[in-house]
Amino acid sequence: MTSKIINMADRERSAADRRLEALFESAPIADDGFTDRVLRRVRRRIWVRRLVLPAAAAIGGALAYEPAMALLRFISRFEVGIPQELRTMPVSLLSSATIAALSVVLLLAVALALRILDEF
Amino acid sequence: MAIHGTRLITLSTTTPEPPDHALVARVVAANDALAFGELVRRHQSRVRNFLRHLSGDHATADDLAQDTFLHAWDKLSTYSARGSFIGWLLRVAYTTFLQSRRRAKRYAQILRAAGDDAHAASQGYTRSDDEAPDLDRLLAALTEEEQAIFIMAYACGLSHREIGSAMLMPIGTVKSVIYRGKQKIRTQFDIKDHQHG
Repeated sequence: MTSKIINMADRERSAADRRLEALFESAPIADDGFTDRVLRRVRRRIWVRRLVLPAAAAIGGALAYEPAMALLRFISRFEVGIPQELRTMPVSLLSSATIAALSVVLLLAVALALRILDEF
Repeated sequence: MAIHGTRLITLSTTTPEPPDHALVARVVAANDALAFGELVRRHQSRVRNFLRHLSGDHATADDLAQDTFLHAWDKLSTYSARGSFIGWLLRVAYTTFLQSRRRAKRYAQILRAAGDDAHAASQGYTRSDDEAPDLDRLLAALTEEEQAIFIMAYACGLSHREIGSAMLMPIGTVKSVIYRGKQKIRTQFDIKDHQHG
């Protein structure tokens, strides 16, 4: 009895619905390596994220090296217990122009590498 | 006794598949790529089917489907297990589709401004020839939102509740959108409602 009612209601309701379902009907799409492609990109993304922090630290360190050394030199004038070896550190090993150029190149290289890794 | 033994063997050999929300929890807790792979394997067919109908181009749809799953990977922590996972996933797919279309339109505008009309015309999504022309004409009669809802309902088999959670609208609105869409179709095509048999 119940199934009869359901069938009647179903027939009443869904003549158009069935026609639409038939129009939209298609076989399930085979995976054909789709999942593997997605997972490859996901794994690459995980690696990129792991690289971002060390890369940012390296670039930040390179950029901050000279100002930090200058600050140390400035503080060392006040003789506040800074180790002797730090005070006499050869800051002038690299000129500021070289450091700036190296930092920019490093920044661009890392940005490009991250972009490439994320794309493929 | 023998029956009991057989039952035990049967039970022990069939391992039930973990539900979607359990796999999502594994991905969120431990970045478990294998659990995510299982989710992709389960749902790729419906997501790709949805995007194929929406974009009308298989290659574009598959690219968008990959992007959809990558966005899903990024946003998985925002999925609340209250709604169905496929509903949530199709919302991500629809957003990805809209974003991609906006980008394509902007690019076409730039090309047109630069005088490259031929290339600009090719930037829009066009349906491939192997699709049923009936379906093309039918979808063309609907707005973008109605198209998405119709595809979810009739191609992906989502319930009104699932469509509501995918499109962020109440069930009543989903029903009225479907009703309105069917009215439009009825006026343009020979699809009769309340027809017996």
